[in-house]
Amino acid sequence: MTLVSRFLTSSALTAMLIPVCAFGPDVTSGATATDIVVTAAPIYAQLAALQGKERFPQGAHLLLVHDGKAEPLVPTFWASADANVSFDGERVLFAGKQAQKDPWQIWEIALKDRSLRRVIAGEGDVIRPLYLPYGRLVYARHAATGFRLEAAGKDTPEALDPVDPHAGDTIQPLSFLPGNAIPDDVLLDGRILFESGFPLGSGTTPELYLVYSDGSGVESYRCDHGKARWGGTQLASGDVVFTHGATLARFTSPLAHEAAIAAPNADYAGGLAETPDGSWLLSARTVGTHRSLVSWQPAVEEGQQAEPLKTVLAVDGENLVEPVIVAPHARPKRHPTALHPWTYANMMALDARISRDGDLKTAPAKVRLESMDAHGHATVMGTAPVDADGSFLVRTPADRPIRFALLDQKGSIVRAEHGWFWIRAGEQRYCVGCHAGPERSPDNHVPAALLRTTTPVDLTGSKPDAAKPGEPGGN
Amino acid sequence: MSQRNQHRNRTAAASALLAFLGVSGLILSPGLGRPVRAGEMRPSVESISYASPLEVLLSPDGSRLYVLCQGSEDIRVLDAQNFAVIKKIPVGAVPRGFSFSPDGAKLYVTNSSEDTVSVIDTAKLEVVATWKTGAEPSSVVAEPGGTRLFVANRISNDISVLDAATGVEQKRLSAGRGASYLTLAPDGSKIYATHVYPNPSAYRTAPESEITVIDAARAVVVDRIPLHGIAHAFHIDFSPDGRLGATTGYHPKNLVTLAHLEHGGAFEDTITLFGADLGRTVEVPLDELERYASQPFGVAIAPDKSRIYISSGGSELVTVIDLPRLMQYIRLHPGGFAHDLSASANYVVTRIPVGLNPRGITLSRDGRRLFVANRLDDTLSVIDTHANKVVSTVRLEGPKNVSALRHGEQTFYTSRYSFQGQIGCANCHIDSTFDGLTWNLEPDGFGRNPVDNKLIEGIKDTEPYKWTGTNPDIPTECGPRTEKYFWRSEQYDDITLTDLSLYVRSLNPRPNRWKLIGHEVTPAQERGKAIFERTIDKFGNQIAFYNRCIFCHSGPKGTSQELFDDVGTSTPLDNTSRLKAPPLTNIALTAPYLHNGSAKSLEEIWTIYNPQEKHGRTADLTKDELNDLVEYLRTR
Repeated sequence: MTLVSRFLTSSALTAMLIPVCAFGPDVTSGATATDIVVTAAPIYAQLAALQGKERFPQGAHLLLVHDGKAEPLVPTFWASADANVSFDGERVLFAGKQAQKDPWQIWEIALKDRSLRRVIAGEGDVIRPLYLPYGRLVYARHAATGFRLEAAGKDTPEALDPVDPHAGDTIQPLSFLPGNAIPDDVLLDGRILFESGFPLGSGTTPELYLVYSDGSGVESYRCDHGKARWGGTQLASGDVVFTHGATLARFTSPLAHEAAIAAPNADYAGGLAETPDGSWLLSARTVGTHRSLVSWQPAVEEGQQAEPLKTVLAVDGENLVEPVIVAPHARPKRHPTALHPWTYANMMALDARISRDGDLKTAPAKVRLESMDAHGHATVMGTAPVDADGSFLVRTPADRPIRFALLDQKGSIVRAEHGWFWIRAGEQRYCVGCHAGPERSPDNHVPAALLRTTTPVDLTGSKPDAAKPGEPGGN
Repeated sequence: MSQRNQHRNRTAAASALLAFLGVSGLILSPGLGRPVRAGEMRPSVESISYASPLEVLLSPDGSRLYVLCQGSEDIRVLDAQNFAVIKKIPVGAVPRGFSFSPDGAKLYVTNSSEDTVSVIDTAKLEVVATWKTGAEPSSVVAEPGGTRLFVANRISNDISVLDAATGVEQKRLSAGRGASYLTLAPDGSKIYATHVYPNPSAYRTAPESEITVIDAARAVVVDRIPLHGIAHAFHIDFSPDGRLGATTGYHPKNLVTLAHLEHGGAFEDTITLFGADLGRTVEVPLDELERYASQPFGVAIAPDKSRIYISSGGSELVTVIDLPRLMQYIRLHPGGFAHDLSASANYVVTRIPVGLNPRGITLSRDGRRLFVANRLDDTLSVIDTHANKVVSTVRLEGPKNVSALRHGEQTFYTSRYSFQGQIGCANCHIDSTFDGLTWNLEPDGFGRNPVDNKLIEGIKDTEPYKWTGTNPDIPTECGPRTEKYFWRSEQYDDITLTDLSLYVRSLNPRPNRWKLIGHEVTPAQERGKAIFERTIDKFGNQIAFYNRCIFCHSGPKGTSQELFDDVGTSTPLDNTSRLKAPPLTNIALTAPYLHNGSAKSLEEIWTIYNPQEKHGRTADLTKDELNDLVEYLRTR
């Protein structure tokens, strides 16, 4: 029996449907604004992908909830999951398997006529697709070292088309670390929110990160690391809501740390859909063994009594996860890539002494760059001087794991990064400090390192190619 | 017709107009008014005159609202309760600031483009006198005795002291650069002046500005409060007890390579507090981690010292600060927190969206209503300060449709197109001019090619653009290049870019204050002109044609529009020595000079930065002759 037929059997017997009457009346040609797509799965291992494993070991299936009734969205597939609605609300991107033996592939379905087309294929699993502006998408592909972020598409104003590398379409890796990176959402400012282990590239605690859609600018969303957090979704307000499992929390623009959300105790899967009236659709388990789809109205004002969770849809024996609303929604801004045509990158620290962990009282003497080789071993690429004001300028290897350590005069480590990060080929980036946190804006001065020389200390381990900083067309 | 179609039709017409302008040389000029001096011919003025409310005041008895409308060049007098128009009073060209006499019987209005103050009788509601001031008067206050007027002159960098009865200028006080906004302390003892351009500072050091403090009774400067790191400061307000002052300012990051915008990479938007309550200056960030209060301008402190209100022209909002919480936060952070984007969470109550390009703000006497002048959509926002909501939007009389030129101007001033809304064109082109700063842009490399930010008045028909001449036209200058290296985010569509380009091309040079009326020249200017045009040096030797001033700086705008190899000004920081000869339009105003901003004055171009005489033959000139050359250049 296919998963579909099994689901239909179970849903006919035990599905509990509660009309979703709070949604706005916005109507599109594809579906009404009240429509929801949700993934139903007997087993949902929410963090399995962060370990490179299968989240839906017994399969999954997308349900379209329309007029209070749920029906399979892609009944001909053995499995489907990870719905993401196009900005015009007319199409749904998802990960699917036509047959049980198939790997997860990226598909798109038109809601109007249910026509299907495969967008991304591959030998390994390709999951969690998200629309990017300008006919692109981001997703996670299972590679030798785990799930990595990739982007593909045309980068033109037209809609997404199937990506065929054999026809010259470009698939662009966005992450360059061992371990797993899974996209959660595309923020309105154009950056991709993804989850990975902390410390990045070496740790296992789920954490949320950001990266531009060309793979540049990777950083932690916030630096108050510690608790596992995953399943981030951006609200219309710009806040990002995520889960710790038993609780919800948010990142909000004014704060450098997460803010708790006074939501009822439950087992939250992560990911939510915000309805036009401001209530949230969440996947949560309050009783029993499976998660249902619940609605919750967050408190509007501080101190206001939080409302209880209301079940919207429950199916016996199924977890209902990853809800999305089928409606037009705001398109994120496109990121205009400014990467230079180089094989390396340049990295500047304005003041390596600054850290939210406590400023160093004296400037370190040197900075050491390590890179990770193909076998996962750390390789010292060399050292560069740190100036008295804590600044340094280095040329680094690109598109591979790197990390810095600050050394004293004797070569002892005075501060070192716990994890790894990457910098894209052709990227030029500065850090305000070493783990200064996103709340710290730069002091306006010319770093001493630049007063001494504007030539980066080459730590690439190879001769720089012919390109020079001024070549890409100037400003 | 749908709004979108209207826009398309309008912008299609704008595109056609732009093409026509390119051929005909006609110029549209919003708000920049009429000819003000003999010989100052401005070919055309846009027929559509928007009100462009810039400042707003309540009459002392609270019954009337006075709105300074810069675009339509008038003062609108409105009933403060029902906002009915009582009178529209025409004033001079490009009014910029206004204030009441101590008894409220007079309203003084600065006319920035014609260097005058209009005196309005508030009983008759008509102009009863017009008095001369310094260059580009931008604000005015009367001292409490009513005997003197103080006028901040933006271009002459000083403050005129006028007899309040006759308008005769008694003296000039030296202020900072770009003196623009004056505020009388509540006790009337002192006048405080802020400045829209930074004072000259050492090369590649952080900008410095000041609050110039004037003894109102004696009309002398008694203090200069430094504003470290602030390049552009705007309005000041005081608490009623006079113990706390606040001024808005831009804190640029021009010395940090502009590699990305996140985390306040280009600007911080701040207010600086000062006064007896603190005993020092404290810079207070208004921004958040992912949202900015771009282009802070107006400021008002609530009568009970409970709140501070700040308008942000680029972000199109008003920030509300809980003042007691802010003071507590300051006490808990004695080391300062200017660079902490999370600090504002501790004292910002809310941010209230208002109209386009909000500028001047004023509180009702009881503090219950805040009036906001939204310059680029011709409205006033009325905010209920208890509810922190806009309770009324007053549309001022004027054109209902937005012309392509107007849309271009709106685009120029908004910050919505940059990453997280941090900056707009107007951040670096203050009031569509320049900023007096040298910036380090990312594509040139860290620390490479520091570039002076140039004036954009008269930029039309001086292509190619950039010091290196790499941008062939304005749409290229303002288009993909800006998106990629400045906004770092998806920007406007092609139609909007066309409108923006139209606006930028429309920016005429402001009247040159060094020119005499009627094309007359001073003897020094005449001698300087001869030096500028000479072909033979003082020893009778031919000057190589490429080393004559007029070879590179030819044509009406002082540029041949050609690139030249190495005029001796390149440094090891430059990626190329091939630079475009810049226009000389209003060159007197735009220090620092040279492509990298290394010359603090015109004199330094030759006395310090021309040792090899590649930048003109000048070694044979005496100091007086060099002065003559500078005198002439100031007329360009």
